[in-house]
Amino acid sequence: MQEEQEFIQLLLDPKTRNQAFGRLILHYQKPLYNQIRNIVLNHDDTDDVLQNTFIKIFQNLKNFKGDSKLFSWMYRIATNEALTFLKQKARKSGISSEVIQNKIIDNLEADIYFDGNEIQLKLQKAIAHLPEKQQLIFKMKYFEELKYEQISEILGTSVGGLKASYHIAVKKIEAFVTAN
Amino acid sequence: MRTFKLDNEPKIESGFKIPEHYFENFSSIIMEKMPEDEIKVIPIFQKRNFLYYIAAAILVFALLIPTVNNWSTTKSERDSVALENYITYQSNVNQYDLINNLEEEDIKNIKVHIAIEDKAIEDVLVINSNLENLIVE
Repeated sequence: MQEEQEFIQLLLDPKTRNQAFGRLILHYQKPLYNQIRNIVLNHDDTDDVLQNTFIKIFQNLKNFKGDSKLFSWMYRIATNEALTFLKQKARKSGISSEVIQNKIIDNLEADIYFDGNEIQLKLQKAIAHLPEKQQLIFKMKYFEELKYEQISEILGTSVGGLKASYHIAVKKIEAFVTAN
Repeated sequence: MRTFKLDNEPKIESGFKIPEHYFENFSSIIMEKMPEDEIKVIPIFQKRNFLYYIAAAILVFALLIPTVNNWSTTKSERDSVALENYITYQSNVNQYDLINNLEEEDIKNIKVHIAIEDKAIEDVLVINSNLENLIVE
């Protein structure tokens, strides 16, 4: 924690800011990429959202109050950016977020950056049928293997609530995969 | 039909691939896009607002002109009336004091030439019953 405080000071100091921010990108680019990719699903969109996320993080560093961890604050920004991106994309196409998600999954088979087998594709389709919050929780727990405590800090939901949601999500996914 | 159980299966990966060398250049791409010490952007609307303020100020002044004019006129009128009343009622100056204070020049200025014909004077004298008293005086 002490180390994080020092790092935040380096990020806020105009003299050391750029160098510290470079380190921040190197450290968090992969986990944030995965978080965004699991939401928006294709690489090009993920690239756009990830760039916007880091620019937003840079612009808002001075507003970072330090009452949550840097990691969960950044995850929150990335998640919001990704969800907003999906909603904007849906609005531009004049369809709902659910429909656009199914459409993206249908396109996954032709995506050169997706080499999933049948069960992986089926799992993605099953996830797309879940409510937004359950999707997030399942992806963060199952794919990214984050701890419940970490997810709790990012999403602001209690650990008990997260466990219950994850359990329900797993049941629904199992039912979907069995039926299809 | 076989019942699918997530825990019984080996971990299913997301299946997403990332282009090779993507992360190698990512950091430099972001640093290039980073705004160099927040450049102050002066919005065009601010300039326009300034013009609006000037226009509004001019309009207010323009609307005030007739009001100011009326106000100053009534004030001077009221002043002369007040002065007259003061002299009449509050001061001890009477008609004779005024006459005493007048200079020769002033009297000349006040003098009005009235052309009266002799006949008119005669008529007045004929009609006037106090003629005798006037002669005596």
